[in-house]
Amino acid sequence: MSANKSSKRLAFLPLAIFAVLCVFLLKGLFSNPNERESALINKPVPEFSLPDLYNESQIHNKQTLIGKPVILNVWGTWCTTCKYELPYLTKLRNEYGVKIVGVYYDQNHAPAFGEFADVKEIRVDVRNMLGQLGNPYEYNILDLDRTLSLNLGISGAPESFVVDASGVIRFHHMGDINERIWRDKIAPIWNEVSQ
Amino acid sequence: MIPELGNFALFIAFAFSLLLSIFPLIGLRTNNLKLMQLAPNLTVGLFSFTLFSFACLVYSFLTDDFTVLNVAENSNSLLPIQYKFAASFGSHEGSFLLWLVMQSGWAFAVVLKSKSLPPEMRTRVLMVIGWICVGFYAYIITASNPFDRTLPYFPVDGRDLNPLLQDVGMIIHPPLLYMGYVGLSISFAFAIAALLSGKLDSTWAKWSRPWTAAAWAFLTLGITIGSWWAYSELGWGGWWFWDPVENASFMPWLVATALLHSLAVSEKRNAFKSWTVFLAIAGFSLSLLGTFLVRSGVIVSVHAFATDPSRGVFILILLALVIGGSLTLYALRSGAIKSVGKFSTFSRETMLWANNVLLVAATIIVLLGTLLPLVHKEIGLGSISIGAPFFNQMFTYLTVPFALLLGIAPFVRWKQDKLNKFLTMPAVVGVISILLSVVWLKLEFGEVKFYAALGATLGLWVTLFTALEYRKTASKLGVSKVPLSHYAMALGHIGIAFVIAGAGLTSQYTQEKDVKLWPGDSAELMGYTYQFNAIKDVNGSNYNGWAADISVYKGNYLEAELLAEKRYYPVQRNTMTEAAIDDGFTRDLYVSLGELLPDDSWAIRIYVKPYVRWLWLGGILVALGGFLTLFDRRYRGVKLAKQAGANV
Repeated sequence: MSANKSSKRLAFLPLAIFAVLCVFLLKGLFSNPNERESALINKPVPEFSLPDLYNESQIHNKQTLIGKPVILNVWGTWCTTCKYELPYLTKLRNEYGVKIVGVYYDQNHAPAFGEFADVKEIRVDVRNMLGQLGNPYEYNILDLDRTLSLNLGISGAPESFVVDASGVIRFHHMGDINERIWRDKIAPIWNEVSQ
Repeated sequence: MIPELGNFALFIAFAFSLLLSIFPLIGLRTNNLKLMQLAPNLTVGLFSFTLFSFACLVYSFLTDDFTVLNVAENSNSLLPIQYKFAASFGSHEGSFLLWLVMQSGWAFAVVLKSKSLPPEMRTRVLMVIGWICVGFYAYIITASNPFDRTLPYFPVDGRDLNPLLQDVGMIIHPPLLYMGYVGLSISFAFAIAALLSGKLDSTWAKWSRPWTAAAWAFLTLGITIGSWWAYSELGWGGWWFWDPVENASFMPWLVATALLHSLAVSEKRNAFKSWTVFLAIAGFSLSLLGTFLVRSGVIVSVHAFATDPSRGVFILILLALVIGGSLTLYALRSGAIKSVGKFSTFSRETMLWANNVLLVAATIIVLLGTLLPLVHKEIGLGSISIGAPFFNQMFTYLTVPFALLLGIAPFVRWKQDKLNKFLTMPAVVGVISILLSVVWLKLEFGEVKFYAALGATLGLWVTLFTALEYRKTASKLGVSKVPLSHYAMALGHIGIAFVIAGAGLTSQYTQEKDVKLWPGDSAELMGYTYQFNAIKDVNGSNYNGWAADISVYKGNYLEAELLAEKRYYPVQRNTMTEAAIDDGFTRDLYVSLGELLPDDSWAIRIYVKPYVRWLWLGGILVALGGFLTLFDRRYRGVKLAKQAGANV
């Protein structure tokens, strides 16, 4: 009789173990294992010192970037989606006075592959494209060796960061910014940091 | 238009699954045969509409419809057509739809093959599948719809499929693995149906066996191909990384292997019945858990998938309902199961019991190793990682008794056997195995390494015993009378022998070397000369890059011409190493191209991997064994119908 009872209790053991497991899985769901997003959000913009796209002798750094809320936009002329978002970004600059700084990411520059970017050619391409589609940028930082992009944890282009006046990253968006994205995701944060 | 049709079909399929989960239940309660007989028809509807929906998704991918979010994010107009097809299940949403196609497809197969089952049992099995389907279809429709549009702002081109997935492995590996995962739901449904009916005699084990064997064979093949793919595509040269995603597929396999053997005992000897039911529940539960781990992003893995907690919560709720519900049912009902078959301490039953204990121990090790880092972190002890050394060591310990018993077990009789019969033969076979493997390794490699010799000895042990057992059976029954299922068992066991020997040899004798070569140079490894002839440009439709042309000589004999590539995929801005491999029965020659160094030389990694093919050869043999059982006479129609009828 008692043997039967204990085997009955044993039958509940898998259920109990599974219940405990579920608790951990639920907790695990809400703590990002990569901590990638949280590592960026509410952290200061990484330090950098990089030349202007048009003028190599002009150096931009974190101090020249901050002071006013800014959207840091990683892009390149090679990137189709970037082309698509340029007109809307330009509209943001012209109509709402949003300060947008470009981080120019050149995909062809791959020293390990024996390929080096031709900065003069990039400048021509950039001028052509911005001339056609609109220029949303106050200035462009040339991140040829991708040090800034790497520190920002870029995984593709376009990606944008909302940085507040004190230099803290408040929002990270992967993909293009369009009217819907701006309205639903970015505008609330932008309005908050602009006040 | 087509995506909307697909979406609509998915909703209809969901409606079918709802009906399938309700009407048969009412039919069973009210003993209304008409309602019960709706189940097969509903299942056919479920399958048809799901298949149609998937066809619509494939169509959207093949026609580059970038207004569909899923297509825009996972395909590109330049992607080769076979990968456009594969991309349709490369994303989270698409892979879930594939899962549903298979889930309903297995249910459809049950409809076709279960006409001989008693109507109540058939209805119950299909109803349980219906319950599972309701959850999954609700999930895909609400949280993971593959037909979501990008309108009105659709992109001109897609973001391309991850280059890692652009391989023939991607076309075959996920469907096979899913066939295995989902197939285990059929064993699960049979077990739950048996629990619900309270009729846990040996017949349900008989019905469940071919389904379990089929699912298990698919799972075996899926895992084998996954391992081969990782080896050939990832460029790391390994074949098993104990990555959480690999573990997620390995756990259901271990449990399904145990289930397959335990079902045999339940069917033939009417023993282990409660345990077998538990394994059937555990097998599918681990499939679901594995999917959750992979797709929710709870655990970090090289198989990076997008993370989205809201989806994770949905899957976790599903998991809690399916696994929690079935385990509760098990806890409440299993007490009533009586195993009547008696057996003594030395018998086939105890051998298979030991098989189950070892396989379950292995499952627990993998489960702990996979989940402990998560638990550790969540209780605030910080991040830890449990890596390959832990698993390798544990599995080495487990493999030795497992292989030793595997050799002997088929010789031992059911019910009772004499231990002293088993003293001389194992001693002789053991000595022969050790001697043969030592001579083999000494002659081939010049030195005998312990773990390699262990693997070779165990492999030979299993092979010799399997051959002896076959001889015994053949002489008893006559060669023509040996049942197909017996060949299946032999094939499965020899496959395991190949895997064990291959793992031991390749892990001990593989040599790798990082060399720095200018075109025209050569390097030596294990008697092979790797001659770096030239570097070439390569251009594919959606990539470009470099290829190193390398000839491998053994003495003056040209063994292989290899082209190791480094590809650059502009859309995803990804660099991929395409290793070049010359495969052979006893060795693989492997070259992977590294970076161009500042002095115009190239970093190149070369390997010689003895017997690495045996791992996959073994896996394929095991899977073939599984498929072979399906053709055994016992499982083909008429005879089963009579037996089943007689039992009811």
